[in-house]
Parts: sequence; C-alpha cells; structure tokens
Amino acid sequence: MAELRKEEMLSLCEKAVRTAERSGASEVEAYICQILRTSVGIERGQIVKTITHVDQGLGVRATYNKAIGFAYTNLLTEKTVEEAASKAFSSAKASQPDPYWRSFTTRKCFANVQKTFDKKILELSSEELVGLATRMLQTATEKDKRVFVVDGEVEASYAAKALFNSYDVSNYDKGTFISCGLAAVAREANYVTPVCFEFDAKRTLDIDPEWVGSETARLTASALKAEPIPSKTYTVVFTQLAMQLLLSYTLVNAVKADYVQREQSALKGKIGEKVASENVSIYDDGILEGGFRTWGFDDEGVDRRKTVVIEKGVLKNFLYDNYTAGKDEVESTGNAYRGGNAPYVETPSIEATNFQFTPGNKSTDELISEIDSGLIVYFLQGAHSSNPVSGEFSVVAVPSWKIEKGEIKNAVKGAMLSGTVFDVLRNVSALANNQRQVGALVAPWISVENVKVIGK
Amino acid sequence: MKEYLTRFIEVGLKLGAEYIEVRAQKLFKTMLTMKDGIIEAAKEGLENGVAIRVLVNGAWGFASVGSFDNAQLIDAVEKTCKMAKAASRKVKTPVELAEIRTFEDKVVVKPRKNPAEVSLAEKIKIASSMNKTVFDYDPRVKSCTMDYLDVTGTNYFINNEGTYIEQDKLYVWSRVLTTAKEGEVYAFAREEIGSTAGFEVFETETLEVVGERIAKRAIEQLKAKTPKGGAFPVVIGPNVVGVFVHEAFGHLAEADLTLKGSVLMDKLGKKIASEVVTVYDDGTVNGAFGSFKYDDEGIPAQKTLLIKDGQVVGLMHNRETAHRFQTSPTGNVRAEDFRYEPIIRMRNTYLAPRDYSFEELLEGVKFGYYLKSFRGGQANLNGTFQVGIQEAYEIVNGEIGAPVRNASISGNTLETLRKVEAVGKDFQLWPGRCGKGQIAFVCDGGPHIRVKEVLMGGGA
Repeated sequence: MAELRKEEMLSLCEKAVRTAERSGASEVEAYICQILRTSVGIERGQIVKTITHVDQGLGVRATYNKAIGFAYTNLLTEKTVEEAASKAFSSAKASQPDPYWRSFTTRKCFANVQKTFDKKILELSSEELVGLATRMLQTATEKDKRVFVVDGEVEASYAAKALFNSYDVSNYDKGTFISCGLAAVAREANYVTPVCFEFDAKRTLDIDPEWVGSETARLTASALKAEPIPSKTYTVVFTQLAMQLLLSYTLVNAVKADYVQREQSALKGKIGEKVASENVSIYDDGILEGGFRTWGFDDEGVDRRKTVVIEKGVLKNFLYDNYTAGKDEVESTGNAYRGGNAPYVETPSIEATNFQFTPGNKSTDELISEIDSGLIVYFLQGAHSSNPVSGEFSVVAVPSWKIEKGEIKNAVKGAMLSGTVFDVLRNVSALANNQRQVGALVAPWISVENVKVIGK
Repeated sequence: MKEYLTRFIEVGLKLGAEYIEVRAQKLFKTMLTMKDGIIEAAKEGLENGVAIRVLVNGAWGFASVGSFDNAQLIDAVEKTCKMAKAASRKVKTPVELAEIRTFEDKVVVKPRKNPAEVSLAEKIKIASSMNKTVFDYDPRVKSCTMDYLDVTGTNYFINNEGTYIEQDKLYVWSRVLTTAKEGEVYAFAREEIGSTAGFEVFETETLEVVGERIAKRAIEQLKAKTPKGGAFPVVIGPNVVGVFVHEAFGHLAEADLTLKGSVLMDKLGKKIASEVVTVYDDGTVNGAFGSFKYDDEGIPAQKTLLIKDGQVVGLMHNRETAHRFQTSPTGNVRAEDFRYEPIIRMRNTYLAPRDYSFEELLEGVKFGYYLKSFRGGQANLNGTFQVGIQEAYEIVNGEIGAPVRNASISGNTLETLRKVEAVGKDFQLWPGRCGKGQIAFVCDGGPHIRVKEVLMGGGA
C-alpha cells in the first residue's frame, strides 16, 4: 500500500479536532501515524518466512472541564474519524477533572533532524531483503560448525506521523529504519550455550549483515566451555545491550518527571547533587543525527531537543512531557512518547529518546587491558524484575565472560549480579570509545568497579 | 463475513498457496489509567483488521492489514504470496502442517456482567475506590497506579481446508502498582487481575482484598532485609511456583522453542524432574485468563499434560511443529491481534497439587526462604532461569520469619525440577501477561512446594 501523504494525514487530524470542538470539547489534539514494515524471518538455520505489515490509525484526545478523553480508530474514513472524535469528547465528559491539567502544547516549533529517512529502505524488494538475510545467515553458519542459528530477521520499516491541535500546532515527519539480527546457540559434547545474539540497525540503508553473522557466530562459539566463578566483587564491563537492559528499568525511569513528582524516584530532590562518577555524562538527545528515536517533534507535538541529564556525575535535569512540565511550571523537554506496535492506540507518556553517554577515549582493548580480575557481560536475564523505584537489581549475567590479567577468557556459567543502579553509576571507572545505539541507549562499553557477583 | 473472507482464500489458492488462512477481528477496547486518584485519560478504541497467512512451496508468508478494504486485502494476499515464493527458494526443509479435523462453529460468550455494558463512570468509580483503599492502608504509601482494560468483540477464522469459526472475545484485566517510602527505603508492589468470564471478576477479587494485599506487601518491604546470596532451601508459594513453571519450564516445552534447541530437545519421554512433579498447560479452565475455545489455527483448546510424575510426556504444538514431531497440535496457537502472526503460547500452566500442608513443607527447614510473590521472570533456551521476587520471608527453624525484599532466584531448570522435594495440597491460579515478541493473556500457578536448594541473588 502506498504511503499516506502529509496533506491527507493532517487533514484527517484537523477533521477530528474540528468535530470534537463542535461537540463542545474545550480543546482537542489528533495524532495520526502510519507504519509499513516488511521482514524476512530465519528460524532454525533457514529462511522460512516473510512478514508484511500495514497499519495506520488516528487517536484523538479531547478535554472538557479539565477531564481528558481519548479514542482511536484504525480505519481512516471520514465517518470513523468523526466517531472517534465524538467518543473522545464523550469519554472526557464521563471522566473526572484533572486539577493539574494545563493545556495541549501551544508551541509551534519543529526541530531539524538529519539522517532519519532513506527512500532506499522503502524501496527494498522482497528479493533484496531475502538477499540480506542470506548473506547474514551464510556468514554465521560458515564461520563455525558448532553454531546453530535459532532465530533471525531482516526488517525494513517506514513510519510517518502527524499531529494537529486546537492551537493550530501542525506537525508532520516521516522516518525509516532497517535492522538485521541473529540469535544462536552452540553445542559441543553435552553442553548447550545460552542464546547469544547480535544485530545492526540504522535509519539509513547502511547495515552490515556479514558483520552480524560473523560476530554472532564468534560470540556463540566462545560461550562454550563455560565455568562457574567464585562469589565476590568484580570489575564488570557492561556492553551496550547489558547496560541498556539495566538502565531501562531503573535509571531511565528515575529521571522521568512523573516518577519524580509521584515519589517513585530515588532522584527526587537531587538536582545539582552528585549521583554518579565524574566519568558519567548523559544527554537525552531527541535530535541525534540518525538516532533510532530521532524525530522532528515528540508525540504530542513539542519540538525534540537535547537535554543534559547528568553532567560529570551531577544530576542536571529530569525528562518532561507537557503535562508534568505544567505541574513543575517548566517547559516540556519533548519527551512525550506513544509506544507499542501501534502508537495511535496510546496516549503519550514520558520516555527517553536517544539516551546518550559521552564516550571515553580508550579502545575496548585498552579498557579490558586495565582489568586484573573481572567480568564482561553481554546480556542480563531478569532486568525487568528490578525494583523500579529503588533501582535495586538482582539479575543473571548470561552470556558473560571472565576477564583475567587484562584479557577476556572463558565464558562464565550462571553468575548473578546484584546491587543498585546508583551504586553502579557511582562506580563507573572508565568508558571505551565504541559508541553504539541499542534501544534508547547510546553508549560505549562501560567499566564498573565493585559489582557484587554471586557465583558458585 | 464467511463469504467475504472466502474470496481471499480463493485468490491465495490461485496464486499457488498450498495453505491459506484469514483471520479477521472486530474488537472494542476500553482502557483507563488512574494515577494517585487522577484519571490520566479514559480511552476507547476500535480495532479492525485482517491477518493473512499463506504457505507457498514450504515457506510462510504473513501479512497484516489494518483494514477490511477489498482492494487492499487482495493486494496483501498477492504481495505475501510473492514474498513467500521469494523466501521459499532458500528453504531446505519445507514447512509442512499436521493434518487436522476441520470445524465450523460459532462461539458466543455470555458473561453475567458484560464489561461493554458497564458504564465508563462505574469503571472510574471502581478505580477510585481501589486507589482509596491503597492510600488509606498506611500513610507511607506514596503512589498508586491502576490500569484497567476490557476487550470485547469477535474474531473470525477461515482456512482453505474448510474450517470457519466465529468466536466472541472477552477479557477483563487490571493491574495495580504501588510504592511506599520511609526514609531512604523505597518499596514497590504489583498485582494483576484478569478474567475471560466477565466484569463479575471484581466481585471475588474485590477492591478491598486486592487493595489491602498490595498495600500490605509494599509496607512490609519497608522493614524488610535484603537476602543473603547463595544456595538455600526454599518453600515457594503458588504465585512463584506458577511463574517458575511458566518461565523456567513452560517456554522450553513450547515446541517451536524446543526445536530451536531448548534443553528439552532430547528429553521427550525421559525423567527430568522429581517424581512429585506433574505439570499441565490447560486451555479449558472455566473463566481463567488463559482459556479459550479455539486457537488461532482453528484447533480446539485442550488440557495438555507436559510432565507426568517427573517424566516429560508432551510439548505444546502448532500444526507445523506437530508435523515435525509426528503428533497432533495441542490448541496452543495465538496471535495478540491482527498485527501479529500466530505462534505457540501457553494458556493456564500449573503444577498439579499433591498432599503436603503448608506447615509440613516448612518443617525441617532450618534456615531458608519463603518466596510468596514474584515481580518478573525470564528464561534462556539452555534452561538458565531468573525469577525476581517482590515478597519473601526468612524461614527459621520451620517458622516464617522476617520479611525480605528484592530477592531473586536463579538456576538451571532441570536441576531445580529434580530438587523439588515436596508438593502441597493447596492450589491457586494467577492471571498474567506473557511476552514472546507479542503479548498473550495467561494464568499460571500451582500449590506451595519445597525445593531442596536454589541460588538466591543477594540484595544490594
């Protein structure tokens, strides 16, 4: 199916806004998005499926006496859009006023963003996608016979969004994304490794399927011959994926204004205080060039921007949407986000955009070479069971490898890590220079002292 | 509807599909989020869409379209057949499907209280009372977030073999999260309610019961100590037994994951657990959150025995894996909605009760832990599992002792199943949502059990 044009999307939004206004809504906002996605799937060592996905929809928020109603539809006819608008208004009428409600955004701004759209991704044929998947899979299987690819995917997607509200804020942006990834296990004698995986993803057609194949195979094979380690504290190097898992359920929430305002953040009242090692500087950069979450405006129409969160260990700012900004009488930082597979069914909540650590200047070899006795961790199992309020975690580090006298050695079996995310931040001793994005996190490998490890 | 969907089946067959199915859905959802007594937004939505799955020369093609438009759907069938053909050139082992009985059926749900007929105002009132119960429990309660969702409507399924099913859908779900704070100690507790019976679930899982349960859990954690790290004997409550059976064992017994190399790969028919362990995955428990009549391949849900007295006797199958194992599909296939492909999911998964009382399970534990309620769990194909615990207590000389917070357990599934010493006679099922790239509503549970030893992750 063809892409919806900017004018079509904005005119449907405006129609919804005017309909609810006519019903008697105090103010109205309409958000529309379209997602087109094509993927090729690998299962058990072979390419076995293809998926195409076409989805679009419109969500309307209407207010009435400071009560907010929301309705959405995934069918985009004049009738369904009008019905959604009327329903949003009647929901608002049935609901209760929110004393903290200020208004929808009145800022008419759009941030200029770079490298977020590539027509070539949109035009990839099914044969070309199968070709990318084949190259990735072949590289992995030819590299090591002990490695068995369990899962994999090449996925190309396009998304466009538009927003219009009662204050004539009118925004449109579109973007592309392509990713390829593999998951594999290795078998030798009676031992099966944990699942290891690697991926590459970009906003422009610039991925390296051979690297993914080769790196997945290398990692998986090196996870064989795992041994338990004794319990004690170690220096732990978190790769980007492990750090992303650790932070998503802890720090990233702790800096969201709604968590802070509702006493759900251990960082409440700590602006200006030292909360991390001096090595740590973190920006939430909504306009990062080519960033996975870079858009010209956030999901309630506020222009995206770069916000300093932690600078040289000192907490500087929290992340706001328009609602929480109203409560604190500050400006939104452009972090409103509608997530999930179908964003138009969601109302906005606060989310990090591109959560970026300032990298160090050491190569990964130098970083490892300075560690006498440690662990390098590629994935954390159970990170989602961390205590989101206190930042306490207790997770399994799989796969992980031992570091001895400056070198990465054998894989480690079943080690658990525990602590609080704030201790982790305070104990960051070094950052490498291999910056890379995984989910929201943009970071290098990060070395942390004194992490409690429970082995055998 | 049948006639309308049949035309897409015909288009697929003409384009060379050896199998084609079309799933359509017309669903209506109501959602609420209340934070500290304030309704964030009262939400209503329509979800209409179609999912098409074809098998061409042994490769799958799947398309999802958020529309019922004839031209768009024909285009989607054509495109997905073409793509499947492109993929099939690389297929070494073509996908084949197990033979099945076909069905024509119409499943109508008759709830005592239909959530679609309960007014938004009443739903908001219930949320407000829940919020009040939680805050009134103790001044140290600092926040309460309550999410509510109900889904009603109809799913339609048709395939080229002659199966046609219209099936009403009904789900009522709610989740409460609360936090408490005292000094620099933060505590967090959560609870879910879920049913396929109707809005009447709130008559048994009343606001008072659930509200107090969760508030008490958060407050108790404030004075709790962190656990010692290391291996200890544990008594595990139904809520944690459920998540252990689901995460640590259940996923490995989903035949798609078994084939991907889970540790159960070569264990079928073998003894893997202590002989007091019997495990079912059952889609037929009346009103339970994981129950339904037909799965998303048109197969009737059933009660599937996975472990019998310690021996693995079954796996959960779709038609593809059933063919590979030369057995029958088990009715485990589900897709979250039209946007997702149908895959093998658990339903209501539980460990079957035996004969111990709770006191007898505690007896003889000199020092260990009682794990009552979980926060989350995750497993790896190689059988490494982790379960985070939100409510736990020390066991000292056979008695429940001080509360413990932020514990988690880990280990190898098979080793742990062998260490199950005794199984209680009580039984509870808990609703939850399971993620496997998409969400499925499930239940899990069992009785209290005692495990000789598990690795406890230490506190901070």
